[in-house]
Amino acid sequence: MFKAIVSASTLRNALDSVSVLVDECKIRLNEDEFGVRAVDPANVGMVDLTLEAAAFESYEADGGVIGVNLNRLEDIAGMAGSGDLIHLELDEETRKLHIQVEGLSYTLALIDPDSIRQEPDIPQLDLPASVVIEGAQLNRGIKAADMVSDHIALRVDEAEEAFYIEAQGDTDDVDLKLEREDMIDITVGAADSLFSLDYLKDMNKAIPKDAEVTIDLGEEFPVKLHYEFAEGLGHVTYMLAPRIQSD
Amino acid sequence: MGNSDLRSLASISEIPFSELEGSVVAVDAHNWLYRYLTTTVKWTNDEIYTTESGDEVANLIGVVQGLPKFFEHDMVPIFVFDGGVTELKDDEVERRREQRRDAEKQLEEAKERGDSVAAARLEARTQRLTDVIQTTTRELFDILDVPYVEAPAEGEAQAAYMNRIGDVDYVGSEDYDTLLFGAPRTLRQITSKGNPELMDLDKTLTKHDITYEQLVDVGILCGTDFNDGVRGIGPKTAIKLITAHGDLFSVLEARGKHVPHADRIRELFFNPPVTDNYEIETAITPDVAAARTYVTEQWEIDASEVARGFERIESSIVQTGLDNWG
Repeated sequence: MFKAIVSASTLRNALDSVSVLVDECKIRLNEDEFGVRAVDPANVGMVDLTLEAAAFESYEADGGVIGVNLNRLEDIAGMAGSGDLIHLELDEETRKLHIQVEGLSYTLALIDPDSIRQEPDIPQLDLPASVVIEGAQLNRGIKAADMVSDHIALRVDEAEEAFYIEAQGDTDDVDLKLEREDMIDITVGAADSLFSLDYLKDMNKAIPKDAEVTIDLGEEFPVKLHYEFAEGLGHVTYMLAPRIQSD
Repeated sequence: MGNSDLRSLASISEIPFSELEGSVVAVDAHNWLYRYLTTTVKWTNDEIYTTESGDEVANLIGVVQGLPKFFEHDMVPIFVFDGGVTELKDDEVERRREQRRDAEKQLEEAKERGDSVAAARLEARTQRLTDVIQTTTRELFDILDVPYVEAPAEGEAQAAYMNRIGDVDYVGSEDYDTLLFGAPRTLRQITSKGNPELMDLDKTLTKHDITYEQLVDVGILCGTDFNDGVRGIGPKTAIKLITAHGDLFSVLEARGKHVPHADRIRELFFNPPVTDNYEIETAITPDVAAARTYVTEQWEIDASEVARGFERIESSIVQTGLDNWG
């Protein structure tokens, strides 16, 4: 059983965070939250999303799992104005999701959850450094890096207590330095890792510019990006595996 | 080597390296190495790749020159070595040995005449994979953490199988026979400058509106590694005949022709000996220092010949997967 009403902007934020990595996903319809965990086919980027029941105008669910085509669902959600409410109701018999937006009714065929990639285990990582910055600052660093390279280095300078976003291209280099006072918070530790800009750009697309983004980092280790939306009731954690210099 | 007649039938298009990033490629090792061997042998003084005891290890230069291309484009190679010679191919192998002996004789003659162009061309043809080359290539792959698989028989058949069951994204080979072995997607010219070519099995079949089995029959009519083609039947005619008559045997009957062992040749394409005994490791962590020592000290190759290649391997950066962590 699943029946919910949610604002279009909240649903869109939630779906966007997942659709930047995968086209199809399983949605867990737990009693107290709506959750998705997915990893891209290359096993490089992972997303863990939870949207608490309180983020919905109304929410009733009993722990089922549905498989959805995210592009379809996003297209439908895109038909709503940002203030509009979206009604979702699962028809258990036909395994279809009925969606209503401002007089528009849509019946979405669901995908067999067993045909979707297994939900990944979240790697347990001990990441020594952490910074908290605004989505807009991360966006600026990523945009600049994208002008010169396909890779981006995220680094914490322990002595300077600074966070660096750096990129080296064939001819040009870019770096963005954020000092302690530029950031919301910093926990210094040894951290310097290189990432594919393709993945980070996609993740960045979903991160609201005004969100506080917590970035946990290590030395040639995956990065963990965490942010909240829907007034703290929606939680997204991304994990991205690093590129490593072979030696 | 396969039959290049197939080229005129195959659906082939250029594909930029950027679209290949992150893909896994089963590379026909013999075929790949051969390309680098011929160029190395053609352009490099043989003293550079010959040890004091007389072993020729031009392959080591080839491996160091060839691997960076995969790493730099974020592709994971898994090399497939040929196993035993397929029974049927014995005659073909024997014939090729003859050809090579002839080439060796001609090479001596060309050298005597002072015809360096002919000599270089012939030299390339006489290049073969000696036991030392077989062993040292594998040893260098081990040090560089590059995966490889030993095919029970034909390397192309094994690579095609791995592609068919979805373990790899592409087969890397210059050989058109990969189509007949049922490889869905073959990358050609991964050793050349510029973009590779993508040879697509499904598109090839759609283009001619035939089945995979019929394509194999077309191949047999035109000639494969295992048989000579039927005289007077080229690729276009073969397609027409197969479309009109349905299959190889009906065509042969209609034409009053015979292909020796046709049944067994078909079987070799449909059900070649293959193995599942391999592992695909996407995070390659080469020990460049050890590889350098192996190539330049143990096998006495001039360090300057491989410096650039090793530098490129060193500076190439590998994408890890989340399953490598925690």
